[in-house]
Amino acid sequence: MPLAVEARALSKTYTHSGKSTVALANVDLAIPTGRVYGLIGRNGAGKTTFVRIGATQLAPTSGTISVLGHDVMTETREVRTHIAAVPQESRPLYFLNVDELVYLYLTIRGMDPRDARRRTNAILDELGLASVRKSLVNHLSGGMRRRAMVAMVLASDAEVLFLDEPTTGLDPLARREVWAAIRRAIGDGRTVLLTTHYLDEAEALSSRLALLEGGQVRLEGSPAEIRDRVRQPYRIVVSGVLGRADLEPYGTVSSVEGGYLVFAKESPARELAQLALSKGAKVSLGPVTLEDIFLQVVGRAIDSDDAGEAEA
Amino acid sequence: MSERHRLRSLLRLAYMNGVVPMRTQPLYLLSVLASPLSFLFFVTIASGGVLLLYGIAGGMVLTVLSIGTSLQTDMSHYRSDLKFQDVIVASPVEAPIYVAGFALSELIYSIPGLAVFIVLWAINAPVTLMAGLTIVGVLFIVWGFSSALGFTLATYFADVRETFVFSSLVSLGLSVLPPVYYPITSIPATFRWLAYLSPTTYAAFLLQGAFGLKSVPLSDGLVDWGVLIAASVALLVIAGLKARWRDP
Ligand SMILES: Nc1ncnc2c1ncn2[C@@H]1O[C@H](COP(=O)(O)OP(=O)(O)O)[C@@H](O)[C@H]1O
Ligand SMILES: [Mg+2]
Repeated sequence: MPLAVEARALSKTYTHSGKSTVALANVDLAIPTGRVYGLIGRNGAGKTTFVRIGATQLAPTSGTISVLGHDVMTETREVRTHIAAVPQESRPLYFLNVDELVYLYLTIRGMDPRDARRRTNAILDELGLASVRKSLVNHLSGGMRRRAMVAMVLASDAEVLFLDEPTTGLDPLARREVWAAIRRAIGDGRTVLLTTHYLDEAEALSSRLALLEGGQVRLEGSPAEIRDRVRQPYRIVVSGVLGRADLEPYGTVSSVEGGYLVFAKESPARELAQLALSKGAKVSLGPVTLEDIFLQVVGRAIDSDDAGEAEA
Repeated sequence: MSERHRLRSLLRLAYMNGVVPMRTQPLYLLSVLASPLSFLFFVTIASGGVLLLYGIAGGMVLTVLSIGTSLQTDMSHYRSDLKFQDVIVASPVEAPIYVAGFALSELIYSIPGLAVFIVLWAINAPVTLMAGLTIVGVLFIVWGFSSALGFTLATYFADVRETFVFSSLVSLGLSVLPPVYYPITSIPATFRWLAYLSPTTYAAFLLQGAFGLKSVPLSDGLVDWGVLIAASVALLVIAGLKARWRDP
């Protein structure tokens, strides 16, 4: 069984009027079929560049990438019969209604009109879009629009789906609606490559993740494997009584609302928790979140922006 | 994709961008007619009716020429603002099908406008089979020519607003200045050679001949067809070379 997507030493440097930006540097990734694979990273980490190369929309500078065993540069035609994409910040055609959006997309892809009709009806029902099927896309909420875009690619017969930040800018409820749609896709054995800078989203949906920073893969694996690989896999929040100096021997300390957050290895974490309890401080102990891991690995939060670096 | 699938793709794209907007945005149809009809109006009034048929020929050419402009703005809009082109790139649809589907959609969208000029022609000029075939043939080639031009220009601009500036200049250079709405003899002899630089001049000559406005000797007619076809083929080749389906 070939991998859904396999990148080897994939690099991309954009050059514009003499100025060059390295967006990907020697990326190796093996994305198995049949699951959601999460690509996480801050703005400018290289997520979109990776997805666009895999979806045959952008040429790499060097290295190779294949989809279901077909090289995207030399077997482009073959690759394109297996893929579908919702590009970052893409918008549905506003003058179509929801039904037309999905149905026309399928028939433009070459699907038989009867199949296209059947699949359109099925997906609109499943994603809760049946009641707005005759509404112009323009009149839908942002969440509904995104869902309609996801419905479009889900209804296709593509086996590998590229979804680039499908929930950015949506409210929490709308995000969850899109999640449900994505979960539905892998029900029938397809692969979803999902990029996001929402770590809760990556964690909720993906069976494996890659953390991209500065065009390089910094961590890769299942959420559990990623946790195992972190230097300080426990987070302890202490409030009251103990000060920063009391905590520092146990791990890495940072200030949080009303107290301190400490990342620590297992035994110091335990010791610290006992100390805090014995002194009567409030304490909570648990495994690090993906957010914490990101902070530890990259050195800053996933939603922090470099000054002057605009979203691409 | 098999030939049947290609044809299906092409026709669905044309339907999507040519037929559906007529239903959801019918007012836009009137805007297609606005400039060709206003030129016809001015030319006819200013000449006391003498140039009515010239104005009709010009209106036909300008309507089909504006297809290129619409194609250009649509393609830029679909690529840069909606990212629809990227959606289609990541699918079995090939680039020539995408472009041809859009070009056909713009032609469909201009049919109501063309119908107005064809009715005006039928009322004001002798209707013959030869004249009808000439009109269809000329407009078909102008369609290919303007689509190729529009597509080529679309590849140069990322921003739709930039394309607006350019497309009005192009339509000025191809339809207002050349003798499309008036006889070439109205241009002072010293500047007349300039008119021969625009392929639309030859399209207008052929239409003016078909309308019985000037007698076109066979040799002149062949030259007109030859130049028109050569210009279209050249532009189609350039468009093919410029086509960028995958970003570098
Ligand atoms: N078309 C482009 N031209 C020049 N630089 C680009 C282009 N697209 C992206 N970049 C740069 O490449 C880097 C990676 O961008 P991108 O892949 O969009 O990251 P992400 O999707 O993770 O936000 C950024 O520094 C960005 O500014
Ligand atoms: Mg991105």
